Amino acid sequence: MQPQKTEQFTVPIGPQHPALKEPSSFLISVDGEVVTNAIVRLGYAHRGIEKATESRTYVQNLYLLERICGICSHIHGTAFAMGVERLAGVEVPPRAQAIRLIIAELERIHSHMLWLGVGAHQGGFDALFMFSWRDRETVMDLLESISGNRVNYSANVLGGVKFDLTAAHIGDILKALDYLEERTHHYLKVVTTDASFLQRTRGIGTMTRHQAEVLGAIGPTARASGVLRDVRIEAPYGAYVDHPVTTITDDRGDLEARFAVRIKELFESYRLIREVLDDLPPGDIKTRVKRKIPEGEAAFRVEAPRGELFYFIKSDGTDIPSRVKVRTPTICNMTSVVKLAVGHQLADVPMILAGIDPCFSCNDRMVRVNRNNGSDGWTWEQLRQHGIEYYKQRSQDYDPLVVG
Amino acid sequence: MIKEAFGKGVAILEGLGTVFKHVFEKPVTVQFPEEFKPFAERFKGRHELKRYENGLEKCIGCALCAAACPADAIWVEAEENTDEERYSPGERYAKTYEINMLRCIFCGYCEDACPTEAIVLEKHYELSFTDRRDAIYTKEMLLVPPPEGQEDTPRKVEPGSFDRSIPVMEDPK
Repeated sequence: MQPQKTEQFTVPIGPQHPALKEPSSFLISVDGEVVTNAIVRLGYAHRGIEKATESRTYVQNLYLLERICGICSHIHGTAFAMGVERLAGVEVPPRAQAIRLIIAELERIHSHMLWLGVGAHQGGFDALFMFSWRDRETVMDLLESISGNRVNYSANVLGGVKFDLTAAHIGDILKALDYLEERTHHYLKVVTTDASFLQRTRGIGTMTRHQAEVLGAIGPTARASGVLRDVRIEAPYGAYVDHPVTTITDDRGDLEARFAVRIKELFESYRLIREVLDDLPPGDIKTRVKRKIPEGEAAFRVEAPRGELFYFIKSDGTDIPSRVKVRTPTICNMTSVVKLAVGHQLADVPMILAGIDPCFSCNDRMVRVNRNNGSDGWTWEQLRQHGIEYYKQRSQDYDPLVVG
Repeated sequence: MIKEAFGKGVAILEGLGTVFKHVFEKPVTVQFPEEFKPFAERFKGRHELKRYENGLEKCIGCALCAAACPADAIWVEAEENTDEERYSPGERYAKTYEINMLRCIFCGYCEDACPTEAIVLEKHYELSFTDRRDAIYTKEMLLVPPPEGQEDTPRKVEPGSFDRSIPVMEDPK
């Protein structure tokens, strides 16, 4: 950290903080109320999922990798499944691809609705928070009726999808979309005209087009700064090849633009789902994939609700991947928070942070353990032993039957 | 100045109007412990070990569910069936069948892996424990009671009457 001047003060927020939903640490230097410097430290919610994939089969990993994110879980499964299908050289039936798209877009709707609520809550607009989360339940119920789960749908299998859409489902979806569209028009009007809310968003956290490109912002955050960055358009995958997306961009780059872009994206999702449901291809919903995946490497990009999601899968010819690397969208946008916070009031920082739709436990992908004896790292066994001893010291009853 | 203040006043009233409109709407909240939301047909809740209509257990102790489980939540130990003590059709039955509900992620992959459709994720979801040990559901807790009028397992049967461990079934759709 920079040497502190006398009039400067550093506000430490986190890693454990009542206002943070997930652990992360922010060191915010302030001069009075104005932020002069911000430092972010990540890695408090590291779960070792990438390592865990190396001891599970491809099919088991499908379920595990869905658990990386509780909001955009389907898209993680899709990225992994499509990467493995590319390695295996399998062609997925068109109906399966269409169902994947529908679930992905429903998930985008629920993610954006959730974000709208969180964003409004950070701005002190709790009425909007309650209303948008109430309407989000419509999508959650749809997803529950399609897959059986509200989150972590496990809709993907290697070579297709697990669930078919019945005529009843299609009717329910179309009915729900009509309701949501009407509500979304109302929300768009609220976030673009409500005077007190605009005071919290207009001109706050402005990121220019140049900044967005330099900082490598992705997803709706970049699109709100006029950068056309959307994997569904740059490199269409699955059913997006036949059903192109119209990207919504905004040149203003401030929080208001981010609200507007995300809400307008909801309309695009509604249109897309209706279009796909209109001519849902008939046929199988899955095709057979061999248990052992041929040797090779595959990289796959998909557009998660928060931006580009990247998967790298390396296979050594067995039924267990030798490496899976995940890069989630939040990590790319996190630098912009640190940059944009400077010059704003301290009270605007939560809004700016919420503006990128952060997901901390998704982006914690790597952790480095420093040992006193100077060696580089710990083996799996050593780490496990350390864990056992640690809990023994804390006099918690460790029982291999229960814990292991 | 006055115009601006007037505009803000109108905006506040407009916002309050939106909120006030909802006072007359039916609440969407469910009074949970008394009321329940209807389950989705495909809802995945707590597992149940099913039985055949004749009361024999469907589980044959093959442990394919345990092998498939991404979370290593299932533990199965098989034992030989005899005609003196028959639990399930075929050679073997599950002597121990435990699911650690703290590990289970309710993905339903055990259901997909099961060759006899013995394990099914049912609608029960109120799982809470005060001890980690209580999270382990044993076979007695998971197994459904035998259909009415049928004898419980183990039972003594005629030799040679239940040789086939997997019944003749339609192909899964």
